[in-house]
Amino acid sequence: MFKQQHPTKAVSVLLDGRPSSLPGGMSVAAALLATGEIVSRLSPSSGKPCSPHCLMGICYECLMEIDGYQRQACMTEVQEGMVINRNILKNKEDQHEHAA
Amino acid sequence: MSMQHDAVVIGAGPAGLAAASRLAELGLDVLTLDEQFRLGGQIYRHIEKASDQQFRFLGDDYARGQILAARFRKSGAKYESSATVWQIEPDGSICYSRHGKSKRIKGSYIIAATGAMERPVPLPGWNLPGVIGAGAANNLAKEAGLQPDVPLVIAGSGPLLLLEATQLIKKGAKIEAILDTTPQIPPLSAAPKIPPALLRTDFLLKGVAMMQMIRRSSVPYLKGVTDIRCLGSEQVTGVEARQGDRTLTFDAKMVLLHFGVIPNTHIFRQAGCRMAWKNDQRYWHPVCDNWGRTNFERIFAAGDGAAVYGALAAEYKGELAALETARCLGILPEYERDALAAPLRAALKKDMYPRPLIDALFSPHFDATALPDETVLCRCEHVTVGDIRKVVAEGVHEVNEVKIITRSGMGPCQGRMCGPALAEIVASESGVSIQKAGLLNIRPPLKPIPLDEVATMDLGPDGSGPANLFKNQSK
Ligand SMILES: Cc1cc2nc3c(=O)[nH]c(=O)nc-3n(C[C@H](O)[C@H](O)[C@H](O)COP(=O)(O)OP(=O)(O)OC[C@H]3O[C@@H](n4cnc5c(N)ncnc54)[C@H](O)[C@@H]3O)c2cc1C
Ligand code: FES
Repeated sequence: MFKQQHPTKAVSVLLDGRPSSLPGGMSVAAALLATGEIVSRLSPSSGKPCSPHCLMGICYECLMEIDGYQRQACMTEVQEGMVINRNILKNKEDQHEHAA
Repeated sequence: MSMQHDAVVIGAGPAGLAAASRLAELGLDVLTLDEQFRLGGQIYRHIEKASDQQFRFLGDDYARGQILAARFRKSGAKYESSATVWQIEPDGSICYSRHGKSKRIKGSYIIAATGAMERPVPLPGWNLPGVIGAGAANNLAKEAGLQPDVPLVIAGSGPLLLLEATQLIKKGAKIEAILDTTPQIPPLSAAPKIPPALLRTDFLLKGVAMMQMIRRSSVPYLKGVTDIRCLGSEQVTGVEARQGDRTLTFDAKMVLLHFGVIPNTHIFRQAGCRMAWKNDQRYWHPVCDNWGRTNFERIFAAGDGAAVYGALAAEYKGELAALETARCLGILPEYERDALAAPLRAALKKDMYPRPLIDALFSPHFDATALPDETVLCRCEHVTVGDIRKVVAEGVHEVNEVKIITRSGMGPCQGRMCGPALAEIVASESGVSIQKAGLLNIRPPLKPIPLDEVATMDLGPDGSGPANLFKNQSK
């Protein structure tokens, strides 16, 4: 989908339970897009796949579980050791569990 | 870190950086909060980490951010990144969340420089994976050096659409088509706007250069396009549109949409600032005096969040708000404030010459009646345009009432994505004016915050309990 113009130092994360390597120095959303992972979540209301749309914290299409909390992946810098769960394999996962 | 500051600036784009730098240079205690993990706002995103290649590619308009950032660092202004402000109050109180902890602080003055966002315009399939904002793609290029490498279509209207198109042409992206929805004959209202624009030939030449580059490329550039729909079921696979009587179809794995930018006003609406409707640009903005002061003595608005005039104007307005704040704090006498403001006002005036022309050329022309019923309006709650039409037909003509019945605007984005179009649809279906259709009420928290974070938060100077932080959340 995207190619990265300059490679950046990679970080190791746990993505949906699998150890994965993502480019560092950018948001979780950008790092996932850079590796071809375009689906960010399943819409809690329609069950359909979503991908990041605004990349600036407006649309919430990139909401995913990062280190135990629902966070906007486009506003969160990817870090070594992060645990990222998109819950894209199970249908209708309650995405709002932790959010007020 | 102290809980009380002379001023708190929200946003570290051009407006916020200029405001904070000036205040700190005057010896005031200023804290800048921005929810991004790096400073620069939208236009100067990633400015402190950009590569030489990025600077060369993005040119002087981007490089100006480097000067601003360096000034800000040198000024001694305090800065916290990844700090999401989720409530402000007229007395200067601010609640914000940072790395999973919330706290409440106070500024004698608040300068909210929260910037603009791409105007969300619903169309069939705009919520499919692979459909993203053109400005959003620009963000990815700056922040992460990402460049689309699949066949794509660029669609919509506005200077930023053309800017993104030319950048992608230069990079050799596989653009199947540029679908420009700007009407083919410029509106008559644009003609009287030309003379002042001629005072800024540098600006006009930039526009001409962009158009020439697009026209000379091999990319099909189609004007006067309507009825755009993104095709696909699990992911976007193409685009269909109309140009006059012609139906156009293109295969694409990515679609970049852009329909101009509008102020990001949630923070002002949450605070209860008086809002005004700008009819030619079809957006709401906080009402401000010529220093950026809202109807609340202690809350200022600066930059594109106050009204969209671009990055340079944002910088000047940030600085003007800072000068008035310094006067209020007793640091600058009135005559000195005015002397310092004079060159800024002159620069602002010069910068604004082309604006009426740009605004007239790209005036929004959203036709709510043309949207098919099945178009998803509210992504969060999956509410369609048809759902809204049904409720309006039953006699509900105010957006907050429509929201309660349909849930449009009740999801985590709090109506950021559906609100503007919701009001257009309600107004056009009911025949009431857009002002009467109203504006979605915004309650704190501005962004969803985990409850345990609120329960354990540091309450700051006056220590009042969290109970009154969430008033009236039902609507
Ligand atoms: C996606 C996008 C891309 C753009 N790209 C360009 C471009 O390439 N060239 C150009 O000329 N113009 C561009 N623009 C227009 C540009 O945004 C403005 O002209 C300029 O950036 C405005 O400056 P500003 O300081 O008013 O706001 P911004 O630069 O938008 O800065 C606002 C800052 O406030 C922060 N913020 C907002 N709400 C909160 C909150 N609640 N808590 C904490 N922080 C908050 C944001 O994270 C942001 O960093 C773009 C606009 C958008 C929406
Ligand atoms: S992509 Fe829109 S909020 Fe993250």
